[in-house]
Amino acid sequence: MSNQYVIEPNLTFIDEVIGLGGDTLKKCFQCATCSVACPIAPENSPFPRKEMIAASWGLKDKLVGSADIWLCHECGDCTALCPRGAKPGATLSAIRSYAISEYSGSVPVLGKLSKMVTDPKKLALLTAVPAVWFALMAFITVFMGGTMEKIFHAIGLHWAHVTDAPIAQARFVSTWLVDFTFVPVFNISILIFVYTLYKMLTDMHTNAVLEGKTDKEKLDYKEYFKTIPTVLKKVLAHTQFNECGENKSRGTAHMMVLFGFIGCLIVTTIGFFFLYILGKPGPYSQLWPFKWLGNIAGISIVMGSALMIKERLSKTDLSAYKDWYLLGLVLTLGATGLMTQMARLAGMEYVTYAIYYVHLIAIFHLFAYLPFSKLAHIVYRLAAMTYAEYANRK
Amino acid sequence: MTIDKAAPASASVLVVGGGISGLTTTLETAEAGYEVLLVEKNPYLGGRVMQLNQYFPKLCPPTCGLEINFRRIRENKKIKVLTMTEVEKVEGSKGNYAVTLKISPRYVNENCTCCGACSDVCETEIENEFNFGMNRSKAAYLPAEMAYPPKFVISPEISSDDKKRVQDACKYNAIDFSMESKTITVNVAAVVWATGWKPYDATKIDNLGYGRHQNIITNMMLERMASLNGPTQGKIQRPSDGKAPKTIAFVQCAGSRDENHLPYCSYICCMASLKHATYVREQYPDAEMTIYYIDLRAPGQKYEKFYKKLKDDPKVFFVKGKVAEVAEVEDGNITVTAENAVSGEKVRQTVDLVVLATGMEPSAASDKPNADLTFTEDGFIVNDFKKGGMFAAGCANKPADVVSSNQNATGMALKAIQTVVGR
Repeated sequence: MSNQYVIEPNLTFIDEVIGLGGDTLKKCFQCATCSVACPIAPENSPFPRKEMIAASWGLKDKLVGSADIWLCHECGDCTALCPRGAKPGATLSAIRSYAISEYSGSVPVLGKLSKMVTDPKKLALLTAVPAVWFALMAFITVFMGGTMEKIFHAIGLHWAHVTDAPIAQARFVSTWLVDFTFVPVFNISILIFVYTLYKMLTDMHTNAVLEGKTDKEKLDYKEYFKTIPTVLKKVLAHTQFNECGENKSRGTAHMMVLFGFIGCLIVTTIGFFFLYILGKPGPYSQLWPFKWLGNIAGISIVMGSALMIKERLSKTDLSAYKDWYLLGLVLTLGATGLMTQMARLAGMEYVTYAIYYVHLIAIFHLFAYLPFSKLAHIVYRLAAMTYAEYANRK
Repeated sequence: MTIDKAAPASASVLVVGGGISGLTTTLETAEAGYEVLLVEKNPYLGGRVMQLNQYFPKLCPPTCGLEINFRRIRENKKIKVLTMTEVEKVEGSKGNYAVTLKISPRYVNENCTCCGACSDVCETEIENEFNFGMNRSKAAYLPAEMAYPPKFVISPEISSDDKKRVQDACKYNAIDFSMESKTITVNVAAVVWATGWKPYDATKIDNLGYGRHQNIITNMMLERMASLNGPTQGKIQRPSDGKAPKTIAFVQCAGSRDENHLPYCSYICCMASLKHATYVREQYPDAEMTIYYIDLRAPGQKYEKFYKKLKDDPKVFFVKGKVAEVAEVEDGNITVTAENAVSGEKVRQTVDLVVLATGMEPSAASDKPNADLTFTEDGFIVNDFKKGGMFAAGCANKPADVVSSNQNATGMALKAIQTVVGR
């Protein structure tokens, strides 16, 4: 301890972490049981004991930019053994949530969204935006087909993508309008991630060098990116989750959701290809293999998220809004996706469209609020795990 | 005094529990001139202190304090003692309690001279609870080396063949198998509960491996081991192979300060482990010891000095960080894992012997007195001075060392006397 370290407590940070689910954090008395209980904590500077004291002292800078907070998978082994009921798992989750707000909040203009997605009172407003938008899109599709055909004709395209199927979601909201909405929204989200990740990686490296957690002096991006495949393998296999002792079943549920989303991503890409390259619009036959994949993926998402909700409900320690928001969204996405198809096959026209409308709103939540919500962990955790692998964090 | 003879019909004060606190309350009350009935569940007085090798911080044997107390009891006509006696219920109110007592048969009467002939011929063996099961004893036995009352006791587990053998061996007609358990009622003005504590059951602390690995023992087991009258005649050794330990880890707060076990600090364990380090040092000048702790608590000037003395030992190490994982490696050695919270590194140390500093659980937590008392969530008896009449002394009231137990027990003697004289 040759260097002098002046502690500058950030009191708002403490309050916000407490509000985000770290309400037990002040109970910690630094016995360090958690760092030993954690099955994935490294040998040198293990977590989460040091995070608990840093959070308690309001040392925001030591936490927000640390890769360690993302290495935790909140399996709860530390919380189970904690002699004070301080729930380090929940506290780290709250710190991650804060970190997401911090990075996404720094994005110009859209940054304001970061506070809104963690505030239950803003849920109605965040839902109203896509609700109004898709109501408008539906209006255009249903009542202004003629006008749109003229406009599209003028630029050498066809407005309608409709087949002879009696019910098709595209008759309610045109495929063009869906994609005109989501392709830009999705790309903006990616741009936001590129912007925040650059900052985050820089911070992670600075933090690791400062705390002696890496043997690398300079952050070499080329080497960093080369590490991604190794880490991706671990992520897909859920290696870290499976180390967990307390909530092992959560790993399976999480895997179902992740693979469900990957399945849906593949199906959507194939759908894109069919529609825009082959000019063959849906609905597609249930006999087609990629329809099978879509259905399996949908079921997997519903089952996985339902399992996770069930598990969180059975636990005495209440989950925070950020957790319910994400799980609720995932379940809604999967359920409405499957149900709109079922209603269509059952020939229930209005039900099909009503559910599809909800489905579109849910997808908007997914894509537009992705960089601001807990779901951002999909990117940030991968980035941090890659950093830890690259930095030889052991 | 009267020992286990005709049961008294009344006394001024009933003291429940004959450990160091109960002895003190009894003596302080009786020596002020009031009649006391002291009841004790075990066949001997002295309680937990009797099991100790040495007191901290003076490091003198408990015989010092106990012997003089036993003499004071013996010489005081105001004191009546009933051993192997438990309180079944307390009825009535302040100034006028009717207490139902259950006396278990000892099968040995007043004639016993402690010659030991019965024990010599007895073949039945029972678990030695006094030594925490580290050895076995005969079913006809002296419960502790300096047991008071000085009488043998015969376990109900004795075989029928042995019953005949021991009776034949006794030259003093001291063995009487016709004794039966009996229930009596006494009237008293005040009751002092000095029911004490028991070591927290370490098998409940799953991650510390007690009960799974032989070379993980508790602090109270070490206390017996270090005692000359203990299971190893005072030699500190590994249970698995009897080897002298070269490296020892002391695990503090084994169960204490833990909401999953005992949420409170047991007060004595830090000092006990420091004391144990002196036991080890005396036998093994080169042994290396590491004390893993959350906070080392050595309250007061004398204890602080004791702690400092241990800190000066170059082979006693202190690590701030609770042991949260243990594993048995080769030869019965144990690897303990902790995070050194000062350096922020995980420590994995392989040692010959692990001593868990288990804490105090009030006896009332598992064996609640059937009386109008208020208990804390953890089973300590709350002293309700407004209501009065019944009081808790020593560790029945809170975790405490011998010194504070005695101070507290003296105070409760005064409270009991005040009740008797009607204030």
